[in-house]
Amino acid sequence: MTDRDIFDKDLLAACISCGFCLPACPTYAMTQDERSSPRGRITLMRALETGRLDEDDPTLQEQSSFCLGCRACETVCPAGVQYGALLEQWRDHQWRGRHVPPAALALRTGMRAKPLIEAAGRIRGAAKPTGPARPDVEAHLMLGCAERAMFPQLSKAVLRLLPDAVDVPSGQGCCGALHAHNGDSRTAHRMAEELGEVMPGVILTTAGGCGAHVAQVLGRERVRELSEFLLQYWGEHPDRLPDLRRLTVDGRPVRAALQDSCHLRNGLHVTAEPRELIARVADYVELPSAGTCCGAAGTYSILRPEDSQRVLDIHLDEIEAADLDYLIVVNMPCQRQMINGLKRRGSKVRVLHLAELLASAL
Amino acid sequence: MSTQGTTSRLHSGPGLPADVLAELRGFVGDQHVLVHDGDVEPFSRDATPLFRARPDAVVLPATTAEVSAILALATRRGIPVTPRGAGSNLAAATIPEHGGIVLVLTRMNRVLEVSQGELLAVVQAGTTTATLADAAAAKGLLYAPDPGSRTVSTVAGNVAMCAGGLRGLKYGVTRNYVLGLEVVLPTGEVMRTGGRLWKDVAGYDLTRLLTGSEGTLAVITEITVGLLPMPATSSTGVAYFDNLSDAGRAVAQIIAQGTLPATLEFLDNRCVNAVEDYAQLGLDRQAGALLLFGDDGGPDVVAASLQRMADVCTDIGARGVTLAQDIAGSEALLYARRCSLPALARLAPITMLEDVTVPRPKLAEMVDTIDAITAKHDVTCATFGHAGDGNLHPTVVFDPGDGDARHRAEAAFDEIFHAAMALGGTITGEHGVGAAKRPWLAARLGPDQLALLKRIKTAFDPAGILNPGKLGS
Ligand SMILES: Cc1cc2nc3c(=O)[nH]c(=O)nc-3n(C[C@H](O)[C@H](O)[C@H](O)COP(=O)(O)OP(=O)(O)OC[C@H]3O[C@@H](n4cnc5c(N)ncnc54)[C@H](O)[C@@H]3O)c2cc1C
Ligand code: SF4
Ligand code: SF4
Repeated sequence: MTDRDIFDKDLLAACISCGFCLPACPTYAMTQDERSSPRGRITLMRALETGRLDEDDPTLQEQSSFCLGCRACETVCPAGVQYGALLEQWRDHQWRGRHVPPAALALRTGMRAKPLIEAAGRIRGAAKPTGPARPDVEAHLMLGCAERAMFPQLSKAVLRLLPDAVDVPSGQGCCGALHAHNGDSRTAHRMAEELGEVMPGVILTTAGGCGAHVAQVLGRERVRELSEFLLQYWGEHPDRLPDLRRLTVDGRPVRAALQDSCHLRNGLHVTAEPRELIARVADYVELPSAGTCCGAAGTYSILRPEDSQRVLDIHLDEIEAADLDYLIVVNMPCQRQMINGLKRRGSKVRVLHLAELLASAL
Repeated sequence: MSTQGTTSRLHSGPGLPADVLAELRGFVGDQHVLVHDGDVEPFSRDATPLFRARPDAVVLPATTAEVSAILALATRRGIPVTPRGAGSNLAAATIPEHGGIVLVLTRMNRVLEVSQGELLAVVQAGTTTATLADAAAAKGLLYAPDPGSRTVSTVAGNVAMCAGGLRGLKYGVTRNYVLGLEVVLPTGEVMRTGGRLWKDVAGYDLTRLLTGSEGTLAVITEITVGLLPMPATSSTGVAYFDNLSDAGRAVAQIIAQGTLPATLEFLDNRCVNAVEDYAQLGLDRQAGALLLFGDDGGPDVVAASLQRMADVCTDIGARGVTLAQDIAGSEALLYARRCSLPALARLAPITMLEDVTVPRPKLAEMVDTIDAITAKHDVTCATFGHAGDGNLHPTVVFDPGDGDARHRAEAAFDEIFHAAMALGGTITGEHGVGAAKRPWLAARLGPDQLALLKRIKTAFDPAGILNPGKLGS
């Protein structure tokens, strides 16, 4: 049998099948079934690569889509397996032609339409682009695609927190993270590069998922997620540190918890910074599952609503038990997922992005 | 390997008969019987490199009654059944070489009881070792066996392999903590051996016999384990030596003076350098051996014990000795040992981790022998292990694309196993025999013992369906 050349050989060979990733994987936690574990999926990828399995084997299709792509498996892997990259290569192959889930295809196509995204941002009132990128700012604020349309207040909050440090270059499209995670990493690569041309220098992002993708294509040094940027910038420029007051409800301090963004945590390795910032303005509460995927997983909640809901329920139970005022997120899809979930449960907990939380303390 | 004895009467051929599948589905539900190529492929291997075989079906039961029904059917129809926990064993013990059913116990994963009054816990087969240890710790109790794989391995898998760990010298291994088992015989009878008693000599010690039986005698469904009070504190120190024989003498001296420490781990020079390349911990790259020593108990006892061990190392002529100042310092030192495997695994795609064991005084000699053998066969090998137990982990890494690298590695291990036996040691201290070390089992046990193993196997498993080809088959 000759190899099918679907995967990068070295990446696929790195796994030693030790199984350390099993307990970290949310889909394995749901099923206790090797098929839906990281190691099981790598065994499937290898069988696909070597021809031990038929390309149309239904388990390949099912497991490549059941995976959340959260990359929690990478953080516990002793062999340093780059699972996220392998998954992208798998989906590139698996989700080609008629095998692309229709919703993924629609999203991929929609987010390639830059004029539409720009118009949506204008209509919804996201931060206004200010022309070509300026060379004299610390970073360029990235507006995102869906974020611009669905949560236009985020970019405005960032500008209030960082009035002079950043600009908002015109001509920004989608960064392509969505394409990378949905079986079209070639387009994804090109889109991140295009974004990098519009925004030469450091790119500031409010979304962990976008940040990890852009960093993968352009290099880690080109990307700063909001929380790491704020701490670094305010540390270097104490005169720019605004007075952040401690937030209260009904005369007592606000209780706030964080839901990590998987790709911020597992891809960019940013975990302490958002917690530290929340603790400056509120009483910080660590939820037991703060670091595990909320089930939004980019477009997963749209493609696999039932599985997404099962993953989400664990988090909603913890949130309800923790007597919170706010749940803080650092990634747009998580924000949408949490708002919908908590609304369905009739919860009073408010979901805020870190940028909104901090801006409300100005 | 050859298909021996009873295994030749087993069902073989592509797929299981339709009526068998229908019965299995009736027992556990359609979604818990897997038969398609892609569905069974992930169960065709475990953590052992180079071994692989696809089962005809994978069955995931949720209750002891289901396990019983499946086994009775399998015996009736002569269908091989290979029990599987997390599939983290390093001996190819879960590879279904004869096809048939892989029986996965991971859905049975509840902690049923933790008793402070009786110092014991009861768990279902598929509970992970870490889940058991955490449940015990939540009540101030210690589950002592701590294999490096504790976050992933199941308690039944630990019992079936008699897993060891980093605390073996002071606390023993899994067998010292198994009080009772609920098992299902291959013929379907559900049975309890032992129980909640630390003392019980009624009958042969079947609990001990089943511990380390590698899934060949019965399927374990529930385990009662003994617990200990959690030690108040622990601490760690590190010493560097010019060569391994000095480190070996330090180990002998530490034990001779009456200390039975919780931790006595060593890394050889190559391992130190691999770890240093990987994690930049500031280790002494010139050292011939690194010895980690540690103890637990009351604060005064621990401090005195560590000082005694540090003094011994200094007296023997250690190049340097450091004691951790606090818990964080201890963790930092232990990290050097914990990241040995990650550091080595990154050197090449295939990592073969073995675990020959020799009498403690022969440790340094064995390491020298390993170095000579691996040099002769031109294979890359680094060794670390449990110095206090004489348990070594020579770890060979190679690229399968590199000509006859695999061949050379296998030839080196063959010599290493024989060398260990010549020193009064064994082919495996804690990882088990499985399919991987079967070729050397006869040399280790001799013909009479091997024959007895087979008679025991037949008494438990007359149809020879359980994990055929492994121990006693
Ligand atoms: C990185 C790494 C580190 C390790 N460190 C250690 C260590 O420090 N010490 C050590 O001793 N081992 C170690 N191991 C080996 C391994 O984790 C142990 O052998 C462990 O006990 C296997 O448990 P499992 O649940 O994965 O069992 P599996 O691999 O699934 O099965 C192992 C054997 O148990 C049998 N079995 C499983 N469940 C049952 C059941 N319910 N009833 C009957 N038989 C059953 C199987 O048939 C098989 O023969 C390590 C492995 C890895 C990958
Ligand atoms: S932890 Fe890493 S090396 Fe181990 S099985 Fe998972 S992916 Fe493979
Ligand atoms: S990316 Fe997440 S869901 Fe997918 S295998 Fe890794 S841990 Fe599991």
